[in-house]
Amino acid sequence: MTDQNTPKYEIEYHFDSEKKRHYMNGFCTVLHCHHYATLFTQLADVAVHFDGERLFKESAEDTFYEVLNDYFSKKSIVTLTDKISIAEQYWKTVGMGMIHFTGVGKVVVTAEMDYSHLDEGWLKKWGSREKPVNFITAGFVAAVAALANDKPPRTFGVRETKGLVCGDDVSAFKAVIK
Amino acid sequence: MAIDRKKIIEEMSNIRLSGNEEGIIPAFGVFIQQLPADFWNGFTQRLVHSIPEDFIEEAEGLLVNAAHECGYHTGYGIITSEEWNKVVGPMIEDSPDDILHGAFAVFTAWGWANAEISEIVPNEKLVVHAYDYYEKDIAAYGKTGRPSAYLIQGVAGAFMDLAYGKSSYPDGLYTFKCTQTKGIELGDDYGEFVVTRA
Repeated sequence: MTDQNTPKYEIEYHFDSEKKRHYMNGFCTVLHCHHYATLFTQLADVAVHFDGERLFKESAEDTFYEVLNDYFSKKSIVTLTDKISIAEQYWKTVGMGMIHFTGVGKVVVTAEMDYSHLDEGWLKKWGSREKPVNFITAGFVAAVAALANDKPPRTFGVRETKGLVCGDDVSAFKAVIK
Repeated sequence: MAIDRKKIIEEMSNIRLSGNEEGIIPAFGVFIQQLPADFWNGFTQRLVHSIPEDFIEEAEGLLVNAAHECGYHTGYGIITSEEWNKVVGPMIEDSPDDILHGAFAVFTAWGWANAEISEIVPNEKLVVHAYDYYEKDIAAYGKTGRPSAYLIQGVAGAFMDLAYGKSSYPDGLYTFKCTQTKGIELGDDYGEFVVTRA
Protein backbone atom coordinates (compact mmCIF):
# COMPACT_ATOMS: atom_id res chain seq x y z
CA MET A 1 0.00 0.00 0.00
CA THR A 2 3.07 2.23 -0.14
CA ASP A 3 3.19 4.72 -3.01
CA GLN A 4 4.73 8.11 -3.64
CA ASN A 5 1.74 9.92 -2.14
CA THR A 6 1.99 8.24 1.24
CA PRO A 7 4.19 9.72 3.96
CA LYS A 8 7.73 8.51 4.44
CA TYR A 9 8.57 6.90 7.76
CA GLU A 10 10.96 9.27 9.52
CA ILE A 11 13.44 8.35 12.21
CA GLU A 12 14.90 10.51 14.92
CA TYR A 13 17.87 8.81 16.57
CA HIS A 14 19.20 9.78 19.95
CA PHE A 15 22.08 8.29 21.92
CA ASP A 16 21.94 9.01 25.62
CA SER A 17 25.64 9.45 26.33
CA GLU A 18 25.15 9.14 30.08
CA LYS A 19 23.14 5.92 30.20
CA LYS A 20 24.54 4.70 26.88
CA ARG A 21 21.14 3.88 25.46
CA HIS A 22 19.82 4.32 21.94
CA TYR A 23 16.43 5.82 21.23
CA MET A 24 14.50 5.64 17.98
CA ASN A 25 11.63 8.12 17.88
CA GLY A 26 11.71 8.25 21.66
CA PHE A 27 11.71 4.49 22.31
CA CYS A 28 14.73 2.74 23.81
CA THR A 29 15.91 0.44 21.03
CA VAL A 30 18.50 -2.33 20.92
CA LEU A 31 20.31 -4.11 18.12
CA HIS A 32 20.09 -7.88 18.19
CA CYS A 33 20.96 -10.63 15.74
CA HIS A 34 18.97 -13.51 14.26
CA HIS A 35 20.52 -15.90 16.78
CA TYR A 36 18.90 -13.94 19.59
CA ALA A 37 15.54 -13.58 17.84
CA THR A 38 15.31 -17.22 16.81
CA LEU A 39 16.39 -18.55 20.21
CA PHE A 40 13.79 -16.38 21.96
CA THR A 41 11.23 -17.63 19.44
CA GLN A 42 12.29 -21.22 20.04
CA LEU A 43 11.90 -20.69 23.79
CA ALA A 44 8.38 -19.33 23.24
CA ASP A 45 7.61 -22.26 20.95
CA VAL A 46 8.74 -24.97 23.36
CA ALA A 47 7.13 -23.34 26.42
CA VAL A 48 3.82 -24.91 25.40
CA HIS A 49 2.67 -25.57 28.96
CA PHE A 50 3.25 -21.92 29.89
CA ASP A 51 1.61 -20.43 26.80
CA GLY A 52 4.95 -19.14 25.51
CA GLU A 53 3.68 -18.41 22.01
CA ARG A 54 0.84 -16.26 23.34
CA LEU A 55 3.16 -14.40 25.71
CA PHE A 56 5.62 -13.68 22.91
CA LYS A 57 2.90 -12.52 20.51
CA GLU A 58 1.29 -10.32 23.15
CA SER A 59 4.61 -8.72 24.06
CA ALA A 60 5.10 -7.91 20.36
CA GLU A 61 1.54 -6.66 19.95
CA ASP A 62 1.72 -4.37 22.98
CA THR A 63 5.13 -2.96 22.06
CA PHE A 64 4.46 -2.26 18.40
CA TYR A 65 0.97 -0.93 19.13
CA GLU A 66 2.54 1.64 21.43
CA VAL A 67 5.36 2.51 19.02
CA LEU A 68 3.09 2.95 15.99
CA ASN A 69 0.29 4.66 17.89
CA ASP A 70 2.78 7.17 19.27
CA TYR A 71 4.13 7.82 15.76
CA PHE A 72 0.65 8.20 14.26
CA SER A 73 -0.25 10.67 16.98
CA LYS A 74 2.91 12.77 16.73
CA LYS A 75 2.95 12.83 12.92
CA SER A 76 -0.82 13.21 12.48
CA ILE A 77 -1.14 9.96 10.54
CA VAL A 78 -4.89 9.43 10.33
CA THR A 79 -5.91 7.73 7.09
CA LEU A 80 -5.97 3.97 6.78
CA THR A 81 -3.66 4.03 3.77
CA ASP A 82 -1.08 6.13 5.56
CA LYS A 83 -1.20 4.02 8.72
CA ILE A 84 -0.61 0.84 6.75
CA SER A 85 2.18 2.42 4.72
CA ILE A 86 3.98 3.64 7.84
CA ALA A 87 3.63 0.21 9.46
CA GLU A 88 5.13 -1.49 6.39
CA GLN A 89 7.99 0.99 6.25
CA TYR A 90 8.66 0.61 9.98
CA TRP A 91 8.98 -3.18 9.71
CA LYS A 92 11.40 -2.80 6.81
CA THR A 93 13.45 -0.09 8.51
CA VAL A 94 14.02 -2.06 11.71
CA GLY A 95 15.20 -5.05 9.70
CA MET A 96 12.26 -7.40 10.24
CA GLY A 97 11.59 -7.83 6.53
CA MET A 98 9.27 -6.82 3.74
CA ILE A 99 5.62 -6.97 4.74
CA HIS A 100 2.62 -6.06 2.61
CA PHE A 101 -0.85 -5.71 4.04
CA THR A 102 -2.97 -7.33 1.36
CA GLY A 103 -6.38 -6.71 2.88
CA VAL A 104 -7.51 -4.46 5.71
CA GLY A 105 -11.12 -4.79 6.81
CA LYS A 106 -13.07 -4.40 10.00
CA VAL A 107 -13.21 -8.14 10.61
CA VAL A 108 -10.25 -9.61 8.75
CA VAL A 109 -6.78 -8.21 8.06
CA THR A 110 -4.27 -10.09 5.91
CA ALA A 111 -0.58 -9.57 5.28
CA GLU A 112 2.26 -11.29 3.46
CA MET A 113 6.01 -11.23 3.73
CA ASP A 114 8.35 -11.88 0.82
CA TYR A 115 11.38 -11.52 3.07
CA SER A 116 11.55 -12.10 6.79
CA HIS A 117 14.36 -11.63 9.32
CA LEU A 118 12.96 -14.34 11.54
CA ASP A 119 12.37 -16.94 8.82
CA GLU A 120 15.66 -16.32 7.06
CA GLY A 121 17.45 -16.37 10.38
CA TRP A 122 15.74 -19.61 11.37
CA LEU A 123 16.59 -21.22 8.03
CA LYS A 124 20.19 -20.11 8.34
CA LYS A 125 20.49 -21.42 11.88
CA TRP A 126 18.44 -24.62 11.85
CA GLY A 127 16.92 -25.15 8.41
CA SER A 128 13.26 -25.58 7.54
CA ARG A 129 10.42 -26.72 9.76
CA GLU A 130 6.84 -27.80 9.16
CA LYS A 131 5.04 -25.17 11.20
CA PRO A 132 5.32 -21.36 10.77
CA VAL A 133 7.09 -19.70 13.67
CA ASN A 134 7.14 -15.95 13.10
CA PHE A 135 5.37 -15.02 16.34
CA ILE A 136 6.95 -11.56 16.42
CA THR A 137 5.37 -10.57 13.12
CA ALA A 138 2.08 -12.17 14.14
CA GLY A 139 2.04 -9.82 17.14
CA PHE A 140 2.97 -6.92 14.88
CA VAL A 141 0.07 -7.74 12.51
CA ALA A 142 -2.32 -7.88 15.49
CA ALA A 143 -1.15 -4.40 16.52
CA VAL A 144 -1.53 -2.98 13.02
CA ALA A 145 -4.96 -4.58 12.58
CA ALA A 146 -6.14 -2.98 15.82
CA LEU A 147 -4.67 0.44 15.01
CA ALA A 148 -6.10 0.39 11.49
CA ASN A 149 -9.54 -0.08 13.01
CA ASP A 150 -9.02 2.34 15.92
CA LYS A 151 -9.33 -0.53 18.37
CA PRO A 152 -7.25 -1.51 21.41
CA PRO A 153 -4.76 -4.40 21.54
CA ARG A 154 -6.24 -7.94 21.76
CA THR A 155 -9.02 -7.01 19.34
CA PHE A 156 -7.62 -9.37 16.71
CA GLY A 157 -6.23 -12.87 16.91
CA VAL A 158 -3.56 -13.67 14.32
CA ARG A 159 -2.65 -16.95 12.67
CA GLU A 160 0.32 -17.46 10.39
CA THR A 161 -1.08 -19.54 7.56
CA LYS A 162 2.05 -19.89 5.41
CA GLY A 163 5.70 -19.58 6.29
CA LEU A 164 8.91 -18.98 4.38
CA VAL A 165 10.48 -21.25 6.95
CA CYS A 166 8.21 -24.06 5.72
CA GLY A 167 9.22 -23.60 2.10
CA ASP A 168 6.16 -21.55 1.15
CA ASP A 169 6.55 -18.72 -1.36
CA VAL A 170 5.58 -16.14 1.25
CA SER A 171 4.78 -15.93 4.95
CA ALA A 172 1.07 -15.15 5.28
CA PHE A 173 -0.80 -13.79 8.28
CA LYS A 174 -4.54 -13.64 8.87
CA ALA A 175 -5.91 -11.46 11.66
CA VAL A 176 -9.52 -12.09 12.62
CA ILE A 177 -11.54 -10.03 15.08
CA LYS A 178 -12.15 -11.90 18.34
CA MET B 1 46.29 -0.83 27.77
CA ALA B 2 45.81 1.50 24.84
CA ILE B 3 42.09 1.05 24.45
CA ASP B 4 40.35 4.43 24.37
CA ARG B 5 36.91 3.40 25.58
CA LYS B 6 35.44 6.89 25.27
CA LYS B 7 36.54 7.23 21.66
CA ILE B 8 35.22 3.78 20.73
CA ILE B 9 31.84 4.55 22.27
CA GLU B 10 31.64 7.92 20.52
CA GLU B 11 32.46 6.47 17.10
CA MET B 12 30.66 3.12 17.28
CA SER B 13 27.46 4.60 18.74
CA ASN B 14 27.07 6.58 15.52
CA ILE B 15 26.66 3.51 13.33
CA ARG B 16 23.15 3.58 11.85
CA LEU B 17 21.67 0.41 10.39
CA SER B 18 18.55 0.18 8.29
CA GLY B 19 16.80 -2.54 6.33
CA ASN B 20 17.88 -3.02 2.71
CA GLU B 21 15.42 -3.27 -0.19
CA GLU B 22 14.26 -6.60 1.26
CA GLY B 23 13.90 -5.17 4.76
CA ILE B 24 16.84 -7.22 6.00
CA ILE B 25 20.00 -5.95 7.73
CA PRO B 26 22.87 -8.29 6.92
CA ALA B 27 25.85 -7.06 8.96
CA PHE B 28 28.70 -8.49 11.01
CA GLY B 29 28.07 -11.98 9.61
CA VAL B 30 24.50 -12.15 10.95
CA PHE B 31 21.07 -10.64 10.31
CA ILE B 32 20.46 -7.67 12.60
CA GLN B 33 17.21 -6.14 13.77
CA GLN B 34 16.58 -3.08 15.95
CA LEU B 35 13.50 -3.46 18.13
CA PRO B 36 12.33 -1.65 21.25
CA ALA B 37 13.88 -2.92 24.48
CA ASP B 38 10.35 -3.16 25.90
CA PHE B 39 9.58 -6.01 23.54
CA TRP B 40 12.41 -8.21 24.80
CA ASN B 41 11.85 -7.20 28.41
CA GLY B 42 8.11 -7.67 28.04
CA PHE B 43 8.43 -11.29 26.99
CA THR B 44 11.06 -12.05 29.60
CA GLN B 45 9.05 -10.71 32.50
CA ARG B 46 5.83 -12.34 31.28
CA LEU B 47 7.59 -15.68 30.98
CA VAL B 48 9.34 -15.48 34.34
CA HIS B 49 6.09 -14.42 36.04
CA SER B 50 4.04 -17.13 34.33
CA ILE B 51 6.03 -20.25 35.03
CA PRO B 52 6.16 -22.21 38.27
CA GLU B 53 9.11 -21.58 40.59
CA ASP B 54 10.59 -24.99 39.73
CA PHE B 55 11.02 -24.06 36.07
CA ILE B 56 12.32 -20.50 36.41
CA GLU B 57 15.97 -21.45 36.54
CA GLU B 58 15.65 -23.54 33.40
CA ALA B 59 13.88 -20.73 31.55
CA GLU B 60 16.48 -18.23 32.71
CA GLY B 61 19.18 -20.56 31.43
CA LEU B 62 17.57 -20.47 27.99
CA LEU B 63 17.37 -16.67 28.06
CA VAL B 64 21.07 -16.52 28.93
CA ASN B 65 21.83 -19.05 26.22
CA ALA B 66 20.11 -16.88 23.59
CA ALA B 67 22.46 -14.06 24.54
CA HIS B 68 25.48 -16.36 24.75
CA GLU B 69 25.02 -17.57 21.16
CA CYS B 70 24.16 -14.05 19.99
CA GLY B 71 27.27 -12.65 21.70
CA TYR B 72 29.49 -15.37 20.30
CA HIS B 73 28.46 -15.06 16.67
CA THR B 74 27.77 -11.34 16.54
CA GLY B 75 30.82 -10.67 18.72
CA TYR B 76 32.99 -12.52 16.24
CA GLY B 77 31.41 -10.54 13.41
CA ILE B 78 32.15 -7.30 15.23
CA ILE B 79 35.80 -8.00 16.04
CA THR B 80 36.48 -9.03 12.44
CA SER B 81 34.56 -6.13 10.87
CA GLU B 82 35.85 -3.16 8.91
CA GLU B 83 34.43 -0.82 11.55
CA TRP B 84 36.38 -2.62 14.27
CA ASN B 85 39.60 -2.64 12.26
CA LYS B 86 39.26 1.06 11.62
CA VAL B 87 38.33 2.25 15.12
CA VAL B 88 39.54 -0.35 17.62
CA GLY B 89 42.21 -2.24 15.69
CA PRO B 90 44.90 0.47 15.95
CA MET B 91 44.43 0.59 19.75
CA ILE B 92 45.18 -3.09 20.33
CA GLU B 93 48.59 -3.73 21.87
CA ASP B 94 47.94 -6.61 24.23
CA SER B 95 45.80 -9.32 22.65
CA PRO B 96 43.38 -10.79 23.63
CA ASP B 97 42.81 -8.63 26.73
CA ASP B 98 42.68 -5.38 24.74
CA ILE B 99 40.21 -7.07 22.40
CA LEU B 100 38.01 -7.82 25.40
CA HIS B 101 38.17 -4.22 26.62
CA GLY B 102 37.39 -3.02 23.10
CA ALA B 103 34.53 -5.48 22.75
CA PHE B 104 32.87 -4.19 25.93
CA ALA B 105 33.26 -0.63 24.66
CA VAL B 106 31.41 -1.65 21.48
CA PHE B 107 28.88 -3.55 23.61
CA THR B 108 28.27 -0.25 25.41
CA ALA B 109 28.18 1.80 22.22
CA TRP B 110 25.46 -0.42 20.81
CA GLY B 111 23.23 0.26 23.79
CA TRP B 112 23.20 -3.20 25.32
CA ALA B 113 24.63 -1.98 28.62
CA ASN B 114 27.03 0.58 30.03
CA ALA B 115 29.45 -2.19 30.91
CA GLU B 116 33.18 -2.40 31.39
CA ILE B 117 35.73 -4.89 32.60
CA SER B 118 36.67 -4.68 36.24
CA GLU B 119 39.08 -7.60 36.36
CA ILE B 120 40.69 -10.09 33.99
CA VAL B 121 42.57 -13.20 34.97
CA PRO B 122 43.85 -14.35 31.58
CA ASN B 123 42.38 -17.64 30.42
CA GLU B 124 40.47 -18.04 33.70
CA LYS B 125 38.19 -15.28 34.87
CA LEU B 126 36.50 -12.04 33.88
CA VAL B 127 34.57 -9.62 36.09
CA VAL B 128 32.31 -7.06 34.43
CA HIS B 129 30.51 -4.13 36.02
CA ALA B 130 27.45 -2.59 34.37
CA TYR B 131 26.17 0.81 35.48
CA ASP B 132 23.05 0.78 33.36
CA TYR B 133 21.37 -1.88 31.24
CA TYR B 134 17.98 -2.10 29.61
CA GLU B 135 17.16 -5.38 31.32
CA LYS B 136 17.16 -3.66 34.70
CA ASP B 137 13.87 -2.14 33.53
CA ILE B 138 12.29 -5.57 33.98
CA ALA B 139 12.02 -4.62 37.65
CA ALA B 140 9.60 -1.87 36.60
CA TYR B 141 7.08 -4.58 35.67
CA GLY B 142 7.15 -5.91 39.23
CA LYS B 143 10.06 -7.05 41.32
CA THR B 144 11.10 -10.61 40.76
CA GLY B 145 13.77 -10.61 43.46
CA ARG B 146 16.01 -12.30 40.93
CA PRO B 147 18.86 -10.97 38.79
CA SER B 148 17.47 -10.23 35.33
CA ALA B 149 20.47 -9.19 33.21
CA TYR B 150 20.37 -12.32 31.08
CA LEU B 151 21.84 -10.56 28.06
CA ILE B 152 24.97 -9.41 29.86
CA GLN B 153 25.44 -12.83 31.44
CA GLY B 154 25.31 -14.50 28.05
CA VAL B 155 27.41 -12.00 26.16
CA ALA B 156 30.09 -11.80 28.86
CA GLY B 157 30.50 -15.57 28.68
CA ALA B 158 30.57 -15.42 24.89
CA PHE B 159 33.27 -12.76 24.80
CA MET B 160 35.49 -14.92 27.02
CA ASP B 161 34.76 -17.85 24.67
CA LEU B 162 36.05 -15.71 21.81
CA ALA B 163 39.12 -14.59 23.74
CA TYR B 164 40.08 -17.78 25.56
CA GLY B 165 37.80 -20.51 24.20
CA LYS B 166 38.96 -24.12 24.12
CA SER B 167 38.99 -23.77 20.32
CA SER B 168 38.93 -20.86 17.95
CA TYR B 169 35.70 -19.61 16.38
CA PRO B 170 33.25 -21.25 15.74
CA ASP B 171 34.16 -24.17 18.03
CA GLY B 172 34.86 -22.42 21.33
CA LEU B 173 31.28 -21.78 22.41
CA TYR B 174 30.40 -22.60 26.05
CA THR B 175 33.99 -22.78 27.29
CA PHE B 176 32.95 -20.19 29.88
CA LYS B 177 29.84 -19.46 31.94
CA CYS B 178 28.73 -16.33 33.73
CA THR B 179 27.02 -15.66 37.06
CA GLN B 180 25.37 -12.37 37.93
CA THR B 181 26.41 -11.53 41.49
CA LYS B 182 24.91 -8.01 41.79
CA GLY B 183 22.10 -6.17 40.05
CA ILE B 184 20.66 -2.68 39.89
CA GLU B 185 17.29 -4.43 39.72
CA LEU B 186 18.12 -5.94 43.12
CA GLY B 187 19.00 -2.60 44.71
CA ASP B 188 22.76 -2.68 44.09
CA ASP B 189 24.58 0.33 42.64
CA TYR B 190 25.66 -1.66 39.61
CA GLY B 191 25.41 -5.07 38.07
CA GLU B 192 28.31 -7.46 38.53
CA PHE B 193 29.04 -10.43 36.30
CA VAL B 194 31.64 -13.06 37.01
CA VAL B 195 32.77 -15.29 34.15
CA THR B 196 34.62 -18.51 34.89
CA ARG B 197 35.37 -21.73 33.07
CA ALA B 198 32.30 -23.88 32.52
